[in-house]
Amino acid sequence: MNYHIRHRIKHGITRRQSLTLIGATLAAMALPTASLFANTGGMRHKTFAGTDKTLPVIGMGTWRTFNVGSDPELLDARTEVVKAFFEYGGGLIDSSPMYGSAPDVMGYALQQLGTPESLFSAEKVWSPAGGSAGEQVAELKERWKVEHFDLVQVHNLTDWREHLAALQEMKAEGIIRHVGITTSHSRRHREIEQIMTSEDIDFVQLTYNITHREAENRLLPLAEERGIGVIANRPYDGGSLIQNLKRRDAPLPEWANEECGCTTWADFLLKFIVSHPAVTCAIPATTQVEHLHENMRAGHDPMPSANARQRMAAYIESL
Amino acid sequence: MNAWTSYQLQDFIPFTAEVYFRLLERMGETFWPLHLLTFAMGATTLFLALRYRTRLARLLPAPLWAFVAVAFFIQRYAELNWAGGYVGYAFIVQTVLLVVMALTGWGMDKTSSRTSLPVVMGTAITLFGLIIMPLMAPLSGGSWYQAEVFGIHADPTAVTTLGLMLIMLRGFALWIAVIIPALWLVVSGLTLQVLESTGAAVLFAVLVIALVGLVWKSIASKR
Repeated sequence: MNYHIRHRIKHGITRRQSLTLIGATLAAMALPTASLFANTGGMRHKTFAGTDKTLPVIGMGTWRTFNVGSDPELLDARTEVVKAFFEYGGGLIDSSPMYGSAPDVMGYALQQLGTPESLFSAEKVWSPAGGSAGEQVAELKERWKVEHFDLVQVHNLTDWREHLAALQEMKAEGIIRHVGITTSHSRRHREIEQIMTSEDIDFVQLTYNITHREAENRLLPLAEERGIGVIANRPYDGGSLIQNLKRRDAPLPEWANEECGCTTWADFLLKFIVSHPAVTCAIPATTQVEHLHENMRAGHDPMPSANARQRMAAYIESL
Repeated sequence: MNAWTSYQLQDFIPFTAEVYFRLLERMGETFWPLHLLTFAMGATTLFLALRYRTRLARLLPAPLWAFVAVAFFIQRYAELNWAGGYVGYAFIVQTVLLVVMALTGWGMDKTSSRTSLPVVMGTAITLFGLIIMPLMAPLSGGSWYQAEVFGIHADPTAVTTLGLMLIMLRGFALWIAVIIPALWLVVSGLTLQVLESTGAAVLFAVLVIALVGLVWKSIASKR
């Protein structure tokens, strides 16, 4: 391109060509580059849990990606990812004591960057039960270096009765703001449904992506009906979904760009998830700032219509 | 969907390949030039084992197992995977086992010829763990700090010990002494498989060869 432009200038350009060149330059400047988007704040938000509070539709998961131990090089690299996340107006970050050092790494990043107001900190409690939820939350707050958690969830329904009761007490005392439950890989959906029906929870976290749509049958409609926020985990099916599409060099359909502005596979896969009316946000995980840019851009309008969503699912099935 | 059958191997590996290989590299950066001492101890052990000086040969690797248990598993690997602490304790058990075997002389094999197939296989496995494994990372484009070395990193420590036990022990004691090294190599091989590293195939190949040697030696000693 540069050679092409230089070549033309060297041989003299007409006034018309000059105007075309200036127009093209201005158009290029208006392209949604990462830095420009970071300041636009164009991320779509959704209300949750029957409140008027809102969350950006793209959050961030930390499974595997933020478990870097005490490696100084990788700690700084992950801090850059968190920094970019907040520059894009990111909100929900989800972690778990089961994710190794991920809560400590988040604490390191927040200490370096300061804790932004937009942070919606989501953690989990797991076994052993028997009154340990309070201790776990206290320890995790130290690791994250935060004053409180916005959401604490029962990890994979582990001893959920005891944990949920303890979390409800903490919520009543103002120690945490919201409570929830999690599952993944479409496990134990019947039990999840029972809890969503019988318990007073604010959030449910489950696996929902374009190739794992079991939640559409009962859980997502139920969440909508009961005003329960939905966090969609494994949006890329643990990375394999987007990696396979990229590896196979699968073509992104042109109609996806026309219908909902999809220019990358990240757009296609994430817009599909967060455009479901019941889904509050998706939590893709990444180790790279470049991928984070892609993820965050997917939270911008336009979003696919119901018809476009069906077309998207059919297209992925056809590949 | 059945909750348990839905789990996959990658659900149990909570870190990425980048993080794991950085951990190995950090071990190299932190402890260099201790590698020279541990290598010398490994080479001396092999020399003594082939000279039938098996008591001392069993004692020499013991402190290295304790070092890997603490420095690699308990202090570093456990940061990434809560199960790492338990693996560290298993390595300490192996340390104790080696010391007890050295003190009691249990299961010493002073009859197998150096040219018998299990001893040749044991020697080959030991040399592989001592010399070839440290060269694999640098030869495949990595830095020298990424070299995995006997007595510093878990995999070459387990591989080399597996070979040494095959040379020095016989009977029930042999099978007892290889349980922890072999189990770790299975865990490590599966981990590397999830991380899409070719090192997985190498570890599984070593395990198969060692198993053939173990069975061969057990059958031969009963004749």
